Amino acid sequence: MDLSAKTYVITGATSGIGMAAAEALVRAGAGVIGVGRSAERCRAAEAHLRGLALANNVRYVVADLSLQADIHRLGEQIKEMLSSDGTTALDGLVNNAGVFTYWLTLTPDGVETQWAVNHLAPFLLTWELLPLLKAAPFGRVVTVSSGSHYGARLNWADPQLRRRYNGLQAYGNTKLANVLFSLALNHHLGTDSTVRAFAADPGLVKTDIGMKGTPALVRWIWQIRRSGGTSSDVPARSIVFLLTDPSLHTASQVYWKDSLPKQASREALDVQSAARLWELSEKMCGIKE
Amino acid sequence: MNPINSKNKTMMALITGAAGGLGKAFAVECASRGWDLFLTDYLREPLETLAAALRNGYGVKVITHACDLTEAGARARLFEHLRAGSGRFTTLINVAGVDFEGPFFEQSGQQIQTIVRLNIEGTLAMTHAILQYRNPWMPFRIINVASLAAFYPMPVKATYAASKRFLLDFSLALREELRSLNATVTVLCPGGMPTNPECIKAIEAQGWAGLITTLDVGRVANQTLDAALAGKAVVIPGAVNRVLQTFGALVPSSLLAGFIHNRWSAVRQKRVVQGSLPAA
Repeated sequence: MDLSAKTYVITGATSGIGMAAAEALVRAGAGVIGVGRSAERCRAAEAHLRGLALANNVRYVVADLSLQADIHRLGEQIKEMLSSDGTTALDGLVNNAGVFTYWLTLTPDGVETQWAVNHLAPFLLTWELLPLLKAAPFGRVVTVSSGSHYGARLNWADPQLRRRYNGLQAYGNTKLANVLFSLALNHHLGTDSTVRAFAADPGLVKTDIGMKGTPALVRWIWQIRRSGGTSSDVPARSIVFLLTDPSLHTASQVYWKDSLPKQASREALDVQSAARLWELSEKMCGIKE
Repeated sequence: MNPINSKNKTMMALITGAAGGLGKAFAVECASRGWDLFLTDYLREPLETLAAALRNGYGVKVITHACDLTEAGARARLFEHLRAGSGRFTTLINVAGVDFEGPFFEQSGQQIQTIVRLNIEGTLAMTHAILQYRNPWMPFRIINVASLAAFYPMPVKATYAASKRFLLDFSLALREELRSLNATVTVLCPGGMPTNPECIKAIEAQGWAGLITTLDVGRVANQTLDAALAGKAVVIPGAVNRVLQTFGALVPSSLLAGFIHNRWSAVRQKRVVQGSLPAA
């Protein structure tokens, strides 16, 4: 696979699935713009990827995806990077960054942290980068969802579960929102669009998602649970497939696992919910069409 | 339309300490109910960020005024802003409060003064000022944020706990005085809340006791607002916390102070060992 003329943006690209996907793309000669929260981890990831064979154009941007203002700034920075490369086209965006929080916390924008990072950030960053994605021959938006969307159901009276919080339930809701968002984006773009959105189910992967900022009990449970998981390379392969495979230009399936379409939950494929979530997300991000 | 002459029935809340964990949760809760807001906090930037997001997300009017409530001059400018504005308030939520870690003799005079000035003086001044700007056609609700610490003498948090005790007694007394004005006072006495990484570390250091006494801010804000609208006197969120309060009331204060001292010293020691607190 030769991707030397392509450029992809990956969020949460300093560890776990995001890092593995960045590595796979870099090995195929693609240009990669990684996004991470910590400047130090970004520098380390950038140095590592630049050392790989075929490494072409690897750059990292530091951004805190829990802040809407930072997402706007990130969008601008990516535009500037591409224009300094002499292009206005972006071939793909991987909305991979995700968090799990045991307690309810609110971002400076007053949004529940998982809802902000796992759902609103993909929505807003995609919105910011959409003109660039449309300028590519085929633009792809891959959002990393999860099997934990099965059984989740959005409560429209309190979608962020602010009033009755349960960390796992809130996580499942954001992963459900990832599928609904992909569905709504395809609908919003229309069938003629060159841009396609997919939700990727990574399966159970040995990552650190349950280890960051959670109580000892949660860390312990996650340590046991992830021991049965796969390496990050498995979902990374599937993400690269969704970003690059030409057969997907006309694919109608939205939810994918291991490079194959998979049946998402009924809630996740509800077109009306998708439209409602889109409208709510626009409002929460201050987007007016 | 002149809101002073018309019977404006818009809900409008003033929230102090609105950029912090619990204050922000109250602001979001009020906005989600469609209430207009006047937000104040010591920090200007997070206040503006929150206000912009609430205007977008909930379509409510939000006024901000950054203010250090420990300064009489700054408070006067805030009250001038209230006077000049046409808003008529239906709710006051006094969240602004502060504590500094450590035993009394390790705190600076400045720190002790700040606790008293913000927790007590700031709350009294705000409450006193806003009563004249309340909406006369609506019941007026005051929520004062005390703490579970208000019920006990608390070694290592001596000044803080006593300042919260002041707010508890003051609120209960004021509540009776304000009945004739169609105003109610509700005092919130929460346990620890996981509002920032520091708080979360402190809660974790308490082990299982921290886990079962801790409540999410969103739920606390929601329950407290409902309780205030129903005119309740005291809100103690969480069943475990209510049990603690009941048992605490049965034990002589001096015994309780000794017990709490032992427990907090152990927790503090654990945090020093873990490196989340500097060794004193």
